[in-house]
Amino acid sequence: MASSYPTLAPFVMKRPWLNNLLKPVANWYINAAGYRKLGLRADDLIVEENENVIKALKRLPPKEAYDRVYRLRRAFQASTVHKLLPKEEWTKPEEDVPYLQPLIDQIHAEEKEKQALDSLTVIRKH
Amino acid sequence: MFSRSALSRGAQLAARRRGCSQLAQRRGYAAASSAPSAFNYDTTEVAGVKVATRDSHGPTTKLAVVAKGGTRYQPAPGLTVGLEEFAFKNTERRTALRITREAELLGGQLAAYHTREALIVEASFLREDIPYFAELLAEVISQTKYTTYEFHEDVERVMKVKQAKLANDVSALALDSAHSVAFHTGLGAPLYPTTSTPLKSYLSEHSVADYAGAVYAKPNIALVGDGATTTALHKWTEQFFSSVPASPSSTVALNTKPTTYYGGEQRTSHTSGNSLVIAFPGSSFGSFKPEIAVLAALIGGKPNVKWSPGFTLLSKAAASAPGVVASGTNLAYSDAGLLTIQVTGPAASVRKAGEEAVKALKSISEGSISKEDLTKAIAKAKFDALDASQSGVSTLLSAGSGIIHTGKPFQIAETIGSIDGVTADKLKTTAKSLLDGKATVAAVGDLNVLPYADELGLKV
Repeated sequence: MASSYPTLAPFVMKRPWLNNLLKPVANWYINAAGYRKLGLRADDLIVEENENVIKALKRLPPKEAYDRVYRLRRAFQASTVHKLLPKEEWTKPEEDVPYLQPLIDQIHAEEKEKQALDSLTVIRKH
Repeated sequence: MFSRSALSRGAQLAARRRGCSQLAQRRGYAAASSAPSAFNYDTTEVAGVKVATRDSHGPTTKLAVVAKGGTRYQPAPGLTVGLEEFAFKNTERRTALRITREAELLGGQLAAYHTREALIVEASFLREDIPYFAELLAEVISQTKYTTYEFHEDVERVMKVKQAKLANDVSALALDSAHSVAFHTGLGAPLYPTTSTPLKSYLSEHSVADYAGAVYAKPNIALVGDGATTTALHKWTEQFFSSVPASPSSTVALNTKPTTYYGGEQRTSHTSGNSLVIAFPGSSFGSFKPEIAVLAALIGGKPNVKWSPGFTLLSKAAASAPGVVASGTNLAYSDAGLLTIQVTGPAASVRKAGEEAVKALKSISEGSISKEDLTKAIAKAKFDALDASQSGVSTLLSAGSGIIHTGKPFQIAETIGSIDGVTADKLKTTAKSLLDGKATVAAVGDLNVLPYADELGLKV
């Protein structure tokens, strides 16, 4: 799993018992992190100062890119005035889907393939 | 480090087959050929795909998918070039980078280009690698993904560069505008959209994918192999091309209107050069006119002997106008042709050479052509036709587009007999009827100097 931040998620997801055990903790943590109260999604928090993320942002569909900027500006504004958004504007758990991470993963995979092909040695068995 | 299992199945197949294919496919140069002639293509239908092969027993093979998807068939501008740029991009099974690197490993060359009638996806490679490249071509035409990001990052970028290059190419612009006044729609569509063509509402990855669905269907494609044995090509076609859709898989309809000749005049001012195109209805692949071929040879242009302007009328005309490049050719399409005289160079010289060229045509129509010149022109027309049927690119193209348009390849060499039958009288009447009919004149460049059609003495 090529990710833009260190994560144990794939390890946990593979083990249902561990997943079930940690789910309540995770939900508590997400709530405590507070980004949903600013109307953000988890993928809005990915650090942008990275070639691959910049490329992924360029590949977003226009609507997604527009919505992302809107969410970010709304969160900046809320943060500036030291207020949380009204409760009905909080990000709902079902809205908090990864929209950027799949694109970043795709770019990582491309890069990995390129490196593998650049350093390949051909073994002829005949 | 990079194991063989990581290469795709086609590459493995190619590698595994190497040993036995050498025995089956390699034949000594002295062995008698079973084909009737090394210049003619055998055509058969394999798994619903029309396959043409010709084997010259060389060490390399050129395999191409020729599709009925040139600019004359596109329902909206830019679709053909979009589809051309999408060739060898990401498919369902591998990425564009992997395709390129695998082809490099096998020493192959991949190319995609288009004419006004056909779209060609082509691979040239070593003879024994045919299974890999047959699979690749089938994959490219049936499983390309047409992704949004490739459209923006690669296709559009390359198109803009090519458009910028075309914007300064006056001879290509003049030829395009001559086609547009001669044929209006269909064959009149420009070969490449110019920078000022509004493409935004027509060209997107979705419209290209829809166009691909209409173009890449079994009735619209032909697989042409130059330098491949019939048995090998048929075997791999059967295996890999059976997945190509049997009928167009999208709702887009190709623009298949038959061509009519209109004629007329178009003048475009341009700063980067001067080009004048004078054109008349010519000879098509469907109905070959030997007089036009001889007339084109007689008009000529480039001398084929060093240090001499040669016998052709246009090179004599160009000799009196310094700095001019002039050529006369017959551009043949399936249902129409255009006999073109193109002059490019400094404005005053282009004007002079244009006037001289029309004078030369008039002299042919008055019958003042010497017997020697006619003999030379017939010999040159024959040589041109045979030479064209011998070398790679044009034969592949004419065979392929012949098959998709009429069901059998255009065999240029078969027309040689009729060229011999051209007499001075026939030439005279042909030239006269061309000058009496409507001409096509396209001028690009310094319009203050470049002549109007009536100044040249032509009817438009």
